[in-house]
Amino acid sequence: MAANREGSSAIPEVLQDSNIPVILILVTLIVGVAALLPLVQTSLATSTGGNVSRLEQLREDWQARLHEQELTVATLGSLDRIESEAQGRLKMVTPDSVIYLRVDAPAPAPNKLPSRYLTEETRPAESESLWEEFFGWVPLP
Amino acid sequence: MGKRRFTEVWRVWAVMAAIVLATVVVTLRLVQLQIVDHAQYAADARLIHFGQDTLADRRGALLDRNGYPLAASEAAFNVMVEKRAWEDPAEAQAAADSLAEVTDASSAEMLSIVADTEAFEVPVVRGLNYGQGVAVRELGLYGVRLLEGSRRTYPEGNLAAQLLGFVGQENSGLTGLEIDLDSILGGNPGQVTYERDGIGNQLAFGARSETPAQPGANVVLSIDRYIQRVAEQELDRAISDNEAKGGTIIVIQPKTGQVLAMASRPTFDVTNPDLSDNSKQALFRNRAITDTYEPGSVFKVVTMAAALDLGVVSPGTWWFDEGVVHVSDWSIYNWDLSANGSQTVQDILSKSLNTGAVWLANLSGSAGFYDYINRFGFGVTSDSGLSGEVDGRVRTPESDPEGWRPVNMATNSFGQGIAVTPLQMAMAVAAIANDGVLMKPQLVNEIVGPLGTQVVEPEAVRQVISPETARTLLDMMGVVMDGASTAYIDVPGYAFGGKTGTANIATENGGYKPDAYISSFVGIAPLGEPEIAVLVKIDEPAGVPWGTVVAGPAFSRLTQRVLAYLKVPPTKEVFVSELLD
Repeated sequence: MAANREGSSAIPEVLQDSNIPVILILVTLIVGVAALLPLVQTSLATSTGGNVSRLEQLREDWQARLHEQELTVATLGSLDRIESEAQGRLKMVTPDSVIYLRVDAPAPAPNKLPSRYLTEETRPAESESLWEEFFGWVPLP
Repeated sequence: MGKRRFTEVWRVWAVMAAIVLATVVVTLRLVQLQIVDHAQYAADARLIHFGQDTLADRRGALLDRNGYPLAASEAAFNVMVEKRAWEDPAEAQAAADSLAEVTDASSAEMLSIVADTEAFEVPVVRGLNYGQGVAVRELGLYGVRLLEGSRRTYPEGNLAAQLLGFVGQENSGLTGLEIDLDSILGGNPGQVTYERDGIGNQLAFGARSETPAQPGANVVLSIDRYIQRVAEQELDRAISDNEAKGGTIIVIQPKTGQVLAMASRPTFDVTNPDLSDNSKQALFRNRAITDTYEPGSVFKVVTMAAALDLGVVSPGTWWFDEGVVHVSDWSIYNWDLSANGSQTVQDILSKSLNTGAVWLANLSGSAGFYDYINRFGFGVTSDSGLSGEVDGRVRTPESDPEGWRPVNMATNSFGQGIAVTPLQMAMAVAAIANDGVLMKPQLVNEIVGPLGTQVVEPEAVRQVISPETARTLLDMMGVVMDGASTAYIDVPGYAFGGKTGTANIATENGGYKPDAYISSFVGIAPLGEPEIAVLVKIDEPAGVPWGTVVAGPAFSRLTQRVLAYLKVPPTKEVFVSELLD
């Protein structure tokens, strides 16, 4: 018994606390989680990087499709196709003679072009009414 | 006991020596790998671990003057295959078959390309469209990836094929405006270097460096797609009607020198040019600027301009036509061998009298005559900016003092013995329509780049003849057309002027090709405020060679359609009431 008492007294007091095992477990858990954090961070970063790559790919795909569509529109507006549609589908024929009439009306507006090919100067300006302009200065709630 | 101890010591030393020796060998090998051959192995490692791509942004479009695309680029994909991924024949065959199924390419050809290459990676299929590219990507083949590029397309088909030209596999211009404007259209290529995984995919967080590509600028040409199409249609019809070998039509806007149309035949398929056959490469050249011809009687307007501007004659000046002119040992006759007696200067143009043209040139004197020829831009390139443009040939007493003879000036006066390009001739006629001011031919109106728009302004070269002389000459050309047969040349509703020409074709040995002619017509319309100057040149028609019959109808139909398209009101009363009645 005396030996036991001596042994007990040899252990530092702080270690005799009954919460020590719990603390040790918690510390171990914290260290374990901390060790896992870089892994989680790397995993998240890799996942985000993958998402970025996927979205970039998606953007490039859409751009490619857009350019393809623009050229399809341009091809549909080609003079050869217009003529063949006019003659084939609409059964129009080339006139034998031209009749000129002088009229007091403005010439028709120019045809619309794919906006990609328009310069800034010729691109139609966005319409903004006086009221829209006025309310543009009012701070929104 | 002593012998046993010696043996044990020897064994220890032997083991130690072996260990030391092995250590030295390993160390030396490491020195070789890490230091001596470091660069080699580092390069090999980079080749495996790092990928490098050239980035090409979209090539700029060639647009007509109203913004309609004549040549534009769309995304296209090249299929890249790593050589090591296709080392196993069975796996390579399977992969090639899968690719062939979605790309319509030959699997044998793909296998051959990979087998023949020494490179780490090689393109096996080029120019796939978007749908095909997606299909290849979805196959998910090992060692196969897509490299995005672009492909040239021509929404208007073969319109202005020789003028536009085409691009090669690397998307750089090979002919025509595509090569002349390559630095503007092509932009600046970029480059990306990246770390990749075992199957060649880019590592999400690997090393990466990128120099972005700059897109090319769009170029707005002076060409009008409608006028160009009309010119090509009328040229094809004239060639077909006359069973000719080829021809050229050029339409110029006189005030600016802008080329509204430039068409030549024979032509080629710009959407799929045949580069394998060398004999077909002649079709790629733009004959309006690369080929010269003797213009014949249309050149009489230049001779007339010189004489009028020098003040040696006026339209009403009288002159006696004996039907023949003797120059040195040569006798020069009229085209119809006629002798017309007393004639006015106007009659020289109206009846296209060779003898009269010689008389006018003699009145002007060789110095004056050739000075005007030079001032009109003959004998030097017109500075159109098109590659391959030639000077033409004008032999003058100054340029060839040994070879020049007075008979040269005599024949030059009616457009023989002088070589010009169709563009030079068209620009000279346009100068007459522009109050005597010769303009530089303009093919580019605007350059629309990422940083803004650069507008190209028309550029005057020089005042060739006075505005009064130009107006007089215009009126005289109008009188010429008043006397022309409306069965061949007529533009109802519009006053117009013009001159026909029928010329012999020079051969390389100095003579003329027998029974072969170039029929041409130069015209200006409307006469009051000229909107267009037109040159029609038809090569070697099979039947009657006269310019009136061969080239005249093409001019008439073209001018009628173009003036209506340009919304030019008729200059004559157009008898609407008569039509309605």
